[in-house]
Amino acid sequence: MSSFLARRFAYSLVTLFVLTLLVFFLGQVLPGNVGRAILGPFADQKAVEVLNHQLGVDRPLLVQYGAWIGRFLQGDMGQSYIYRAPVADFVIPALGHSLKLAAVAFLVVVPLGIAGGVVAALNINRPTDRIISLGGLSAAAIPEFVSGIVMVLIFGVWLRWLPISAAWPDGAGALTQLYYLILPAMPLVFVLFGYIARMTRAGMIEALDSDYTRTAVLKGLPWRQVIWRHVLRNALLPTITVVASQTGYLIGGLLVVETLFRYQGLGSLIYNAAKGKDFPMLEASVLIIGLTYAVATLIADLLYSWLNPRIRMDGGQ
Amino acid sequence: MTRNANLLDDLRFSLTPVENHLIDGYADGRVNRRDFLRHGSLLGLSLPFLGQVALAAGFGAAPSVAQANVQPGATIRVAGPAPEGAIDPVLSGNYGAILMFQQVGEFLCVDGPDLLLKPSLATSWKPNQDGTVWTFTLRKGVKFHSGGEMKADDVVATMDRLADPKNSSNALSVFKGILQKGGIRKVDDYTVEFHLDGPNGNFPYLVSSDNYNTIILPASYSGDFETTWDGTGSFRIEKFARNVGASFVRNDDYWGPKALPAKTEFTFFQDIQPQILALQAGQVDIINTLPALAGVALLSDPSFDIISIKSTANQAVHMHCQTGPFQDARVRQAVALSLDREKLVKGLMKGRAVAGNDSPFASIYPSTDPSVPQRKQDIQKAKELLKAAGFEKGLQATLTAPQALEIPAFAQLIQSWVKEIGLDLKLNIMDRGAFFGDAVPGKSPWLDAEMGIADWGHRGVPNVFLTALLTSTGPWNAAKFQNKEYDTLAKSYIASFDLDTQRENAGKIQRLLLQETPMLFSYFFDHLTAVKKGVVGVQPTAMGQLFLHGAGIS
Repeated sequence: MSSFLARRFAYSLVTLFVLTLLVFFLGQVLPGNVGRAILGPFADQKAVEVLNHQLGVDRPLLVQYGAWIGRFLQGDMGQSYIYRAPVADFVIPALGHSLKLAAVAFLVVVPLGIAGGVVAALNINRPTDRIISLGGLSAAAIPEFVSGIVMVLIFGVWLRWLPISAAWPDGAGALTQLYYLILPAMPLVFVLFGYIARMTRAGMIEALDSDYTRTAVLKGLPWRQVIWRHVLRNALLPTITVVASQTGYLIGGLLVVETLFRYQGLGSLIYNAAKGKDFPMLEASVLIIGLTYAVATLIADLLYSWLNPRIRMDGGQ
Repeated sequence: MTRNANLLDDLRFSLTPVENHLIDGYADGRVNRRDFLRHGSLLGLSLPFLGQVALAAGFGAAPSVAQANVQPGATIRVAGPAPEGAIDPVLSGNYGAILMFQQVGEFLCVDGPDLLLKPSLATSWKPNQDGTVWTFTLRKGVKFHSGGEMKADDVVATMDRLADPKNSSNALSVFKGILQKGGIRKVDDYTVEFHLDGPNGNFPYLVSSDNYNTIILPASYSGDFETTWDGTGSFRIEKFARNVGASFVRNDDYWGPKALPAKTEFTFFQDIQPQILALQAGQVDIINTLPALAGVALLSDPSFDIISIKSTANQAVHMHCQTGPFQDARVRQAVALSLDREKLVKGLMKGRAVAGNDSPFASIYPSTDPSVPQRKQDIQKAKELLKAAGFEKGLQATLTAPQALEIPAFAQLIQSWVKEIGLDLKLNIMDRGAFFGDAVPGKSPWLDAEMGIADWGHRGVPNVFLTALLTSTGPWNAAKFQNKEYDTLAKSYIASFDLDTQRENAGKIQRLLLQETPMLFSYFFDHLTAVKKGVVGVQPTAMGQLFLHGAGIS
């Protein structure tokens, strides 16, 4: 197990390094320049050139990248070009926000999706199965901004039960924060429920049809025990992969939800950094997401090996 | 009303020939009341004085603004765009930042909703005889929030900072060729002279709220605005949270009448739709800038008032005059004649716009020559022009435009109209940042496209439109329009400062641009502000600023 972990850690480091290169050099393809992004399209060209020089973005790309990675390796995320403030002051709170929203969405959608998949599989080809499968698929097909606006209109504008903004007041406690996150989490639940339920359903159907399930039933084990100890344990393997693969999206890909609900997460931070060619901010944000994704995948692998002893016995291959 | 010749003579006694010429125009009916007030304010004549002249000339006093019964002490909640990056009055040019620094800062003069210049930190201003030197008298007893008195040194330092190319100033594009560092001179503690590069009849607008970077900052300002928020305004900062919002409280040391609200709260949004939802949900009282197309649900909602201010903001279409089919002025005219401007105003802009006449001279500018005939849709004539230009069998072109406001819908309308005359127009709609690119030729789809649309904000005077967009050396001349006669006329217009001469030059420019048609100015759209019923005294400007000094709950 330890060699497995060491190998995964080394892979992750290489992946993150390649990520920094990709973000930096592919980002140069984006139109415009930092000075122009800060001053706007109608600023005088001389003013733009002076600002670019002050920020050091008129230096050769390799020099800029080298300077940035050198500081980063020493724990300094650098200064944001557009905010003229330390990047860490933005990225760390934004990561906290994104993790909170992702956690709320996960806590709701994972049990709900798994339960939906199990119920659908146990009622295969019956109306309950069709309602869950079709309902989940339809919900996943609705763009977040559509379901988000509908939720806001119902619960925020007409009923006025929930705040339409996810920006909670200063000093708010955990319960208040949760209250503010209910509406933004809803569109995410809609999007993810279908995926998780379908994967669980497929895994369940396959597991229910397997020899070990038949053996367990014929042994005379109670049905509940068969489901919990034999079927579900095997059926959840692909579901775990789906859940882990959604981590990156939930941490850094929620631009639409963050914009609609005024939420200060990593998604909008990355979008604004890319728009403004604010590379120190962009690099740090993307690296944080990459790191989160790597950790989530690692946790998924560990769960895999816990649920499936064969993986453990194979040395984590 | 009868004319009081004696009083009129007394009032005119100390005026300059240019000022007297304006009064002559008003007295004999050549200049209407609106233009008389606007141009009088530009020349530095106070509104009470202009009112006295109007009375003496037998036209009645200037209209007074009705005051609603406003309760003081309210908290006014505003939805606005998030500032893009650090807020700095020297550097920032985005609406979010402009709105923020305007809350604590003040200008020498303010360009009001009717393009009337009103004194603010300057009490009066006067040009010299040829308009190359403008002298501003400063208000006494004005204090910065940090405690020091605002004096000429602060004004000189502020303007020098903005005119200095070393400071990356956003105002440089306005001052370039007009005012240089060192051209601002202190006469005494309360008098400042602006020595210009050449005559300029509209100069006060360039140091008014119209040039949003020109809030007066202390001479010691060192770029730390988000720390100090040091201005002279009637509100001072209470709290600022990046990308979240800001709140301001009444400044009890303000030089003028104290602000009515005890507090103002600004909530930042990245998009208009959440702002609309927040207003509907009762979580804000005001949306500062409401696009007509996106905000159509609010326009007829009885729960909200819409403050509609005429502006010169526009979506100008340029056609490349040096290469491709648009080299021929007849092709450009044909495109212009295919547009149905009435439908643009009533349909696309929901009636919140006025038709343009293919020149920057919007009808609200006092200097616009109203005798120039309005261009209207004429498909038959457009077809004839294309035939005469050798395109009887039709032609193809690409229209490049940014994804902003109603521009994609506008582009589609153009596409359908020009199809009727045989022009097969392909649309290339792209992200706004990508569209402007580096904003220099060769690195900007905006400046390189054979046909394009760019969104232009309001300007209190047409100078920037006339020079930067259309002169041969204009940095934003995407049409690549090269016309010596035009260049001379634009220069003459800018140098002139009596209304008759301005109007005469404007008329020539309007006619020349109708003939040449390098750009289509199809409509000038209103600046809309949505306000919850019962909230009164809100004063937006077409520049996107919002004055809440007199706001309250009725």
